[in-house]
Amino acid sequence: MIHSSRLTHWVLGTNIEHMIDKRGLTRLAQPVAGLRDDAATSAFPLDLAKAGVHEIVEGHYGDTGAATGFALAALRDSRAGVWLWIYERSLSVDQGRVTGLGAAGFGLDPARFLFVEASSPMEALIATEEGIRSGAVSTVITELRDIDFTATRRLILASEVGGTPSLLLLPHTREGATAAHARWRVSPAPSAPNPFDPRAPGFPRWTAKLERCRSAQNQAGHRFNLEFDDEALCLRLVSQLADRPTASDPASPADILPFRQTG
Amino acid sequence: MAAVNRPAKALGVETGLRFADAKSRAPDIVAEPIDRQADKAALKALGLWATRWTPLSALDGDDGLRLDVTGCARLFGSEGALLSDIGERMEAGGLTCQLGVGPTPGAAWALSRYGPGKVTVCRGDQPIKQALKDLPIAGLRLTENTECLLRRFGLTRIGQLYNIDRSALARRFASKNAANAVRLRLDQALGLIQEPLAPLKTPPDYIARQSFVEPLVCGDGIAAALTGLTETLCTKLERDGCGAREFVLMAFRSDGAASTLSLSTARSVRDSAHILRLFRDRIESIDPGFGIDLLTLAAFRPDNLQTEARHLSADLAPEPVDKTALAALADRLTARLGEGAVRIPCPINTHDPARAETHIPFEGEAGDWDNALLACRGDRPARMLGRPEAVDVLAEVPDGPPVRFVWRRMSRLVKRADGPERIAPEWWRSFNSSARARDYYRIEDEDGRRYWVFRDGLYSDGRGGDPRWYIHALFS
Repeated sequence: MIHSSRLTHWVLGTNIEHMIDKRGLTRLAQPVAGLRDDAATSAFPLDLAKAGVHEIVEGHYGDTGAATGFALAALRDSRAGVWLWIYERSLSVDQGRVTGLGAAGFGLDPARFLFVEASSPMEALIATEEGIRSGAVSTVITELRDIDFTATRRLILASEVGGTPSLLLLPHTREGATAAHARWRVSPAPSAPNPFDPRAPGFPRWTAKLERCRSAQNQAGHRFNLEFDDEALCLRLVSQLADRPTASDPASPADILPFRQTG
Repeated sequence: MAAVNRPAKALGVETGLRFADAKSRAPDIVAEPIDRQADKAALKALGLWATRWTPLSALDGDDGLRLDVTGCARLFGSEGALLSDIGERMEAGGLTCQLGVGPTPGAAWALSRYGPGKVTVCRGDQPIKQALKDLPIAGLRLTENTECLLRRFGLTRIGQLYNIDRSALARRFASKNAANAVRLRLDQALGLIQEPLAPLKTPPDYIARQSFVEPLVCGDGIAAALTGLTETLCTKLERDGCGAREFVLMAFRSDGAASTLSLSTARSVRDSAHILRLFRDRIESIDPGFGIDLLTLAAFRPDNLQTEARHLSADLAPEPVDKTALAALADRLTARLGEGAVRIPCPINTHDPARAETHIPFEGEAGDWDNALLACRGDRPARMLGRPEAVDVLAEVPDGPPVRFVWRRMSRLVKRADGPERIAPEWWRSFNSSARARDYYRIEDEDGRRYWVFRDGLYSDGRGGDPRWYIHALFS
């Protein structure tokens, strides 16, 4: 890849990483590259979409796309099986619906999605709990308007019994106490420079702020700068310094390829 | 007067009379305007309720029910017991009824309407001719004109028709239709011509029933009874080695109403615990009223049960998805959230992004996604809005990307844009020629939010005025 020298690659959830993590040798897993995000440790995903209940909250109004992208990227590393995607009908009118074609852009097989349309928040919660308890699905993703502490606690207990991880997609108004393992607040960031056309958006980038975290208290409040590479199909951490303006980029391939296919 | 009751008849009021005439004969008569639609609905409800005696129940005209009780009497002990049960229950519901039983629908019709007693039975081993002999011609379901003609010939009893030569009878009628009608109705009554019955509801393939001496008034009792019913039904299904995909629970109330709960499953099942679990949450929606005295559980759409060998451990499974468990989960969600709540995405071979994907109800199998189709579709957004929303856009004319736009009252500055991707309207589908080509752009605002916007039409394409801009989807 073109910017490999400036980025710390982090393919999430590889087995080796997991093993090293287990043995407490996290130090070894740290990359040797010089430009590294200071608090980026191998523990970054914090079992996102692998265990427990995680809240993914949009940063501001209109950031649903970024939050959805973050969730879809996380699903890449979930265990095998079907993804149960539950959404409230009233919410989908406002924010639209996730599409199989869009998910395919994240390297996810659309045939593995099972969508559930709930007509009320209560129904969405019932479906979520039922899905987590059943153990028949890989991950349960729920789009909700809001959730209270008791409900998150219920979902945590169900998740501990069934062992199915759950992601809750919540709007920017989400505040206050939660029993969930972590709360990620995801905002979009200006996308990566596009090597083929400096005027076009590049790989999507997001800033994920870990607002609350029960498993790694010391990481709470940390911001992760993320980028999704939709060619290599992996989510990686971006160092601050790597995010330089495109002007300093040497000869862009756009000069070599003046004609682009436009569909 | 559309209908009169017995005391009114005693006062000389008859159907077909003018209201003023009726008033003159019986000044104190109480009358209500007739509501034929409500009558029809009530009769239909009664017909459904009558499925407690036989699955084959149909409406007969405006004031009758036709039940095919072949083989059903056994459930009640005997034909007599069945009839008295019908009579008692109708009376308890405040209905007066005349019952007739015959070997053919035509005979039963005549016996019930023109029979000598309140209940008239012609058993299968008795000759039909004998039973119908003394009944009036009106018992043959003929039109008024035909009846009138027959009466003019001096034929008033059905028995008189038996010995008349068929061709001689036909010659007396001016119209061929009337002659044919008489012959047809007579043959139907005597069983020489079959008369099929179109039931109100399709009879189920498997059914289990339980009646109660003491009517049930609470949900707990229904739940307990349902356990037994599902087990009986599943035993029946197991005997034939099949499962079913639709289950209907009917609760018959003693006051002549019936409530129905139905559910369908993603694949065919016969696991009683699973069926019971699906019904359990919805039992509360049954209104027991004054008590439920009969419950039936019917299975529709039977199918071979797809059995799958269980893997010794999850590691050995060739496929990570446990289809049975997934179908069971989908069934539970469907039972809780309603029909069609669980859906799978399915691609449609079209370039129109609004139609490129549809969600179809989950039927136990995953959608058919063709990799080649996915590959040629390019970069598609993660979230599609239900319908494109109009936005105010500042853009270079004629085909530049937006520079600034206002969406949901928020003004956003476009930093980067990619496009256009021109998607032409599908002329072979659109019946209005006003559909215009769309130019789609991927744009990014100053905060990094990425959108999919399009310009509906081109400048000076001769299909309406200046094109408008819409936002169609959100990129991640």
